[in-house]
Amino acid sequence: MNAIVASPPARRNRRTALYSAVAVGVILVLFIAVLATRSSAVDKQARSPLLGREAPSLSGPSVIDGRPFELTSMRGRYTLVNFFASWCVPCQHEQPQLVRFAHSQGGDTAVVAVLFSDTAGPARDYLRANGGDWPVLADPNGQSALDYGVRGPPESYLLNRDGIVLAKFVGEVTADTLERLVARAKVAGQ
Amino acid sequence: MRFRRWTPWVVLVIVLGGALLIGSRGSGPDSPDERAAKIEAEVRCPTCAGQSALVSDAPAAKAVRTFVAQEVAAGRSDGVIERELTDRYGSDILLRPPASGIDGLVWFLPIVVLVVGAGGLVLAFRRWRAEARAAGEVSEADRERVESALRRRTPDPD
Amino acid sequence: MNALVGQTAVLLGLLACLAGILTLAAGLRTGQPQLLRAGRRYGWALFAAAAVAVAAMERALVTHDFSLAYVAHNGSRSTPLIFTISSLWAALEGSILLWTLILTVYVVAVTSKFRSRVGDPLVGWATLVMFAVSAFFFALMLGPANPFTRVAGVIPLDGPGPNPLLQNHPLMVIHPPMLYAGYVGFTVPFAFAVAALVTGRLGEGWLVETRRWTLFAWGFLSVGIVLGAWWSYEVLGWGGFWAWDPVENASFIPWLCGTAYIHSVMVQERRGMLRVWNLSLLLATFSLTVLGTFLTRSGVLQSVHAFSESSIGPWILSFFGAIVVVSIGLIGWRGDRLRSPGAIDSPISREGAFLLNNLLFAGFAFVVLLGTVFPLLVEAINGQQLTIGRPFFDGMTQPIALTLLFLMAVAPALPWRTASSEVLRHRLAVPAWTGCLTLVGCVAFGLRGIAPLLAFGLGAFAAAAAVRQLVVATRRSMADGSGPWRGIVGRANGGMIVHLGVIVIAVAFSASQAYGHRAEVQLQAGQTATVAGHRIQLVDIHGQHHANRDSMVADVRVDGGRIYRPAISQYFAMAGGGVGTPSVDTTAGGLSDVYVTLAAPPDQAGGPAVIGVVVQPLVAWLWFGGGLIAFGTLLAAIPGRRRRRPVLPASAPAHVAPRDLSAVGSQ
Repeated sequence: MNAIVASPPARRNRRTALYSAVAVGVILVLFIAVLATRSSAVDKQARSPLLGREAPSLSGPSVIDGRPFELTSMRGRYTLVNFFASWCVPCQHEQPQLVRFAHSQGGDTAVVAVLFSDTAGPARDYLRANGGDWPVLADPNGQSALDYGVRGPPESYLLNRDGIVLAKFVGEVTADTLERLVARAKVAGQ
Repeated sequence: MRFRRWTPWVVLVIVLGGALLIGSRGSGPDSPDERAAKIEAEVRCPTCAGQSALVSDAPAAKAVRTFVAQEVAAGRSDGVIERELTDRYGSDILLRPPASGIDGLVWFLPIVVLVVGAGGLVLAFRRWRAEARAAGEVSEADRERVESALRRRTPDPD
Repeated sequence: MNALVGQTAVLLGLLACLAGILTLAAGLRTGQPQLLRAGRRYGWALFAAAAVAVAAMERALVTHDFSLAYVAHNGSRSTPLIFTISSLWAALEGSILLWTLILTVYVVAVTSKFRSRVGDPLVGWATLVMFAVSAFFFALMLGPANPFTRVAGVIPLDGPGPNPLLQNHPLMVIHPPMLYAGYVGFTVPFAFAVAALVTGRLGEGWLVETRRWTLFAWGFLSVGIVLGAWWSYEVLGWGGFWAWDPVENASFIPWLCGTAYIHSVMVQERRGMLRVWNLSLLLATFSLTVLGTFLTRSGVLQSVHAFSESSIGPWILSFFGAIVVVSIGLIGWRGDRLRSPGAIDSPISREGAFLLNNLLFAGFAFVVLLGTVFPLLVEAINGQQLTIGRPFFDGMTQPIALTLLFLMAVAPALPWRTASSEVLRHRLAVPAWTGCLTLVGCVAFGLRGIAPLLAFGLGAFAAAAAVRQLVVATRRSMADGSGPWRGIVGRANGGMIVHLGVIVIAVAFSASQAYGHRAEVQLQAGQTATVAGHRIQLVDIHGQHHANRDSMVADVRVDGGRIYRPAISQYFAMAGGGVGTPSVDTTAGGLSDVYVTLAAPPDQAGGPAVIGVVVQPLVAWLWFGGGLIAFGTLLAAIPGRRRRRPVLPASAPAHVAPRDLSAVGSQ
């Protein structure tokens, strides 16, 4: 058989594979770093368009005792507006913390709760089981949740003495964090 | 000659273009229900994981639908209604990421990738053409060798 | 007892993996075929271990052994038997167990299929890689995803059963196994790709050989995705079937890469080119399956389908990192030296069309991946929350999908190497006019909207092109005397049927999105309303009591005919709101689906109920298209008349020493 004599193709020193591999590698390393540092936490303060603005109004009869309630009546105290549901497990976790906050020193703190996708009966059972003696408003059409931009319970909004929203919490809160924020607001003269 | 070969295709393109022109014309302005549906399709159901407020049956989605229907009936424009919703929930209540700032990257990057990829293909084709030219002429001995080999084998029917 | 058996089986499985890896590594280093053969046998031990573990878990589920934490959380005495069996894959730990079982089945299949070449280092490396992947999954089951942990404290008498959404439709029984068979199946081509890079043997032989494995994995994945969409449609109650949800995207992105590979590997077979690119595609496909697993199981992304959060995230992310390092390292190290010479003559050719196909599919995969993970990236950079939903995905992928439809029409008519305009004009004339007249007919019928009209026109174009190919192939095979059946069997023809399935799905997707109607009507018992041309009458509402739930069922008569029974159920084991069950049927002629839900039950007895109605055209075509894809894949797997020899001289057999290869010339 004749030897196949062909001139070899010009030696290609292109390093396309190496360069693309390095580029993709760098991107992927950064990507993995981002994925590795995601976390969910307690006391997670969230951005909200409501921060620094007057809190949307809340009014209606309390589910507990039927007495009429107006959010503006809470002016003068640091109020926590807490959206919860009886079927929400983190809400049960945070309830003792809210009780502590409501009764904290100075007597200038208060809690108001709004039901999220829930009805009066289970809510009453919930409060009996987990504590809490503050007004609870029903929100049958979800309009209050919409006004506050609530994604899901538990979400809480800390208002200052003038009814301005200081902070929004998505998920559980602790009394320590709330008290710290209130102390800071007092110092800042809010 | 060439004219006759290409005529049917020119006719086809003209017919296509005409049909598409007619087909792209909308069927009049939207009714309030249609307007509300279009807005709700762009808004995320607040409690769900990515479904739109139009299709979800979560109570929060129903609240959004009631709100949008109210505002549409009150005569507010689409932009105003969307702003009212973002004023309450934040900008991430919209399913469509904004086209500006760092968020706009998500619209921009895929186009960049496709353009770069297409450019790479064009460069590759150009290089292949250049190599083919540089390989030079085929020698007579090579031609003979190939033709005798082809005669021995049956041609590929595909 | 079950826990003990299961736990021991998993431990033995891991040990078998490690023993197999060590034996194979020793065999590869020393070149002794006996060690390689011994290493192969460990594959059977792996399979036995996984089978015993699955059997132990199923036994525990079926006999309601609530001493196991998994059964205590997912089992219930009142769940029907078939859903008790399928609760194996209803939650995280069980799904890892199913994954491992399917993986070991593939290991055994590969080692059996290649047993005649067990002395070949390429097979040895591929088996070693598969053992390494199996070792990871066995280790997961000994660590964070242990399905056999015992309940701490008192053993409960009954459990809550699987999530209500996972026990009310038979599709739950086949969708996950099909999906996993596809997902896991991509491990095989990945293993061979790594082996090819390590040994430096990229000749066409090996990748052609593994093409059939890739085709089967791709076929299972396609069917799994379509079944998932069907499940979503029938169960979730929102009337849609595809929401660009992260879990859906996680299965779709590897599918896109796999489809790109199936096409570009044909260029490799014909011209010996694009070898390193094809290897990169296989490495990427498998890496993306692992990334998808991470995204859906780690809790970083919210999803309708997501498993609950667990500590499994860091493990899977580390595995992904290891795979990425290995893949990128191999490509960077060997890729340039192993590239093939050769050129593609003209962009207007079958090869050019496949290159464009790859570009589009890669772009498609990039868009879906970017949309899925971008919120995470933005949050990491500036803490801002961002939602990327349907408007982004639809807007970005529609142009790509329409271009792919056009390519599907033109590419089968393009000859290899180069095309002349006469050939193209002759072959595309009838399909092009079919597409044009279809579009004109749709516009004349009154349909409007650029995107669906283009989809219909291009779909008809592509379908006519595919049918034309089948007709030509059938005529040729009849002229050859082998009968008409050869015209639809084999790779090219099966591929045309798969194309038809994809076209049907694309058209159905477009039509149902563009021309669907949804409405909610408030009806008293006996009242009728009209939605999108259909008469909806609420006949009656009554309660129903089952072992595991209380339901309120509405009898709804549509168009004076069939009765639909949507319901809302309160599962005793689950707190919170009721779970809706939709009722859906296709109208006569298969052209439209009427989807009825009980949106809100009456507040008091005798009050009005709110009935949700969604009318969408062509939804049934989606499932038919999925069936066509499955059918076409089976036909494509049947070998053609002229078998291509799987090991061509270009891929040297094992007994040729490496230095002799340099005399043969560059490969």
